[in-house]
Amino acid sequence: MPRELDLAGATVPSLLLVYLACLLAQWVIDTVAGRFGLYHHVWHPPLFRVALFACLFSAIGLLLYP
Amino acid sequence: MIALNKPWLADFLTGERQAWIFVFKCLLAFYVAAWLAMLLQLEQPATSMVTVGLVMHPQSGMVRAKGFYRAIGNVAGSLCALVLIAAFAQQRELFLLALSLWVAGCAGGAMKYRNFMSYGFVLSGYTAAIVALPAISDPYNVFDAAMMRVSEVLLGVIVAGVVSDVIFPDRLGDVLRRSRRGHFEQFIAMASEPLDGSTPRSQMERTHLRFVRSAVQIEDLRSSVIFEDPDTRARSRRMQLHNLKYMAAATTFQSLYHLIDRLRRQNHADTANALVRLYGPIGEALSAGPTDTPEPKALAERIAACEALLPALASEMRNAFRNDLDLQMEFDGGATLVRRFASELHDLIMLEATLRKPLGRLPDGIEHVGFKRSNDHVAPLITALRGFLALAMLSLFWIDTSWASGPSALLTASYFCGLLATSPTPVSAAINISIGYALGMSAAFAVAFCLMPGSDGFTMLILASLPLMAIGPYLLTRNATLPGMGTGYVMSFAGILALKNPMVYNPEQFLNDAIASWFGVVACAVAFMLIPTVIGTSWLRRRQLRKLRQQVTVAASSPMTGLLYETESANRDLLHQIVQHTRPDSEEMRHLLTWDLAVHECVRAIIELRQDMQHAELPPPLKHIMQRSVDALAELYDAPDTRRWQEADRIVGHAITLTAQTLPRAQASCRPPLAHLLQLRAALRDDASALAPFIASTPEPSHAA
Repeated sequence: MPRELDLAGATVPSLLLVYLACLLAQWVIDTVAGRFGLYHHVWHPPLFRVALFACLFSAIGLLLYP
Repeated sequence: MIALNKPWLADFLTGERQAWIFVFKCLLAFYVAAWLAMLLQLEQPATSMVTVGLVMHPQSGMVRAKGFYRAIGNVAGSLCALVLIAAFAQQRELFLLALSLWVAGCAGGAMKYRNFMSYGFVLSGYTAAIVALPAISDPYNVFDAAMMRVSEVLLGVIVAGVVSDVIFPDRLGDVLRRSRRGHFEQFIAMASEPLDGSTPRSQMERTHLRFVRSAVQIEDLRSSVIFEDPDTRARSRRMQLHNLKYMAAATTFQSLYHLIDRLRRQNHADTANALVRLYGPIGEALSAGPTDTPEPKALAERIAACEALLPALASEMRNAFRNDLDLQMEFDGGATLVRRFASELHDLIMLEATLRKPLGRLPDGIEHVGFKRSNDHVAPLITALRGFLALAMLSLFWIDTSWASGPSALLTASYFCGLLATSPTPVSAAINISIGYALGMSAAFAVAFCLMPGSDGFTMLILASLPLMAIGPYLLTRNATLPGMGTGYVMSFAGILALKNPMVYNPEQFLNDAIASWFGVVACAVAFMLIPTVIGTSWLRRRQLRKLRQQVTVAASSPMTGLLYETESANRDLLHQIVQHTRPDSEEMRHLLTWDLAVHECVRAIIELRQDMQHAELPPPLKHIMQRSVDALAELYDAPDTRRWQEADRIVGHAITLTAQTLPRAQASCRPPLAHLLQLRAALRDDASALAPFIASTPEPSHAA
């Protein structure tokens, strides 16, 4: 995947798109976890969510910048 | 160590502890945002810092909600700035006119949507100004400038959100759960008391007010907690439905109370007592329990058992009135209300039980209902006009004097015009903000020209600016006593200090910008003095009361789908808005509450009646006369006077007569509407209600036909 994309004439870093995709993925995970009450098994839910997001974003980001 | 034997000292220390935790979180977010902005080589780290200062709030759900709408407003604002520059790059008058219009429209929107969406509108106007104003002298770079501003603001939003969510979070979700539980238990406690009419009317009005407030408060909390807590988001619909059932049950309870009260006053004590006895099992089911606060599951089972008993009990009691058809009909109406209350209560308790269940999968198939807000149109228009005039005057001043710092003044004015629009006391808030601004400016001057030149590196930067920076967040926690001062201080300190890497020292420009920004705040205050706010004025209250009465028209004429929740929530939202600015225990408050009770009861009965009218077997002439009575009631509430009261009373009486005549032939389709018509007529003739001044002195005999 290229590091920069051409969107309607403007150069957009593909990391931004990855970020947005990760936000979407996080939203889906949150919805599922909230529905089944999974966050009750976690000590500090917000910290867990931030960490989860960092893992997701870094994992996909590292594919772009190996 | 000193023992904490003084309660005031303990209170003080708890308050201070929360305040300083907040200050710590703010400072951390400030410096993390500044550091990241410098690391990412953004042009103005100050924009990120100002954003953090404006978004931070002691409760994390608030920050998330603010941040979410702020991000949307930000993107919308920068898009608008791009369009403005593309369209009017060479025409400064047209450009400033269009910008003023955009900012004014955003201020109006901020006024209209009173929750966090309001914030998005303020930001949308502000971002358009912050992107477009500096770029107008260099239109070729506007796209890059817009990208920079959006990145800076979003960075601030993200940092503020993460910091306040992760470090010492003060979770709004817990507040929501606690208050929902508290309101539920209060409601159950009230419903478990016997309905013997010993509660005075004034107390009932206060109870009603409390229920209204709690319904609106829970909705407010829910709409911001969904940003903070995935659990709440998963249960969001259920909570809305819970709130609907809560409101519906409260309305039915009030109607039942007033029906019994009326029967007593009209010397029909037998009927009233029969209804009290019929209600007895519900009260017992709610109160009889081994523990003080029984589990909702057990309560639901008891209510379901009692619901099954009610029809038999009602038909048994009904026999006592077989000699007097009128009384029997009155009793039937009351019995319908009791049964409706029981079934609504059962739904409410079942929902409460599933909401309390912390773990596991939730059952599917929840009806979707939305809380409808009731918004006024004139107040936002006035706000928009004021914002437009303020910005247009400042723009003219800028153009005519060739003032170099004009953009700074316009920028602050564009922000505060929107932000202060929702404040009930904007002038004093603007004065506070301008004081905070002046303080922040002096502090920033001291830091920028005395402390920072000698410092080196980011650590030294923090050490040099932190002590004076900390004052801002601390003032933010004192928003109750010094509204606006913290906002002013944070904005001016972070904005005027304008941290940069490398730092630019230019005292002349610094002072010019500082004075111009302060001038913008003062111009805003002047605008609010010239066109005063309408929030909280008796004019707006009268207008809103009129709108409250017109809810009857809405109930009478809107399509039926979702109408119940729409009216129940809009009524409460309206009352809540008026009550906020009415003095408690005043004559006006009593007047307002009696009207609200009348409207609530009438709206509910009309909706139920309209539902009954959809019954297939109802003869068309009856349907016609019922529709006419609904319309007559809507007209009466729209502009109450004696003539319309007589007309409504006559038509409703006629409808009752016709329905009662058809009753023996079509029991199933006629009995429910008859009960609701009777309830409507009783409410109409209630001489203790808001309609009392319009009741004609010689009411017709009830069954003239």
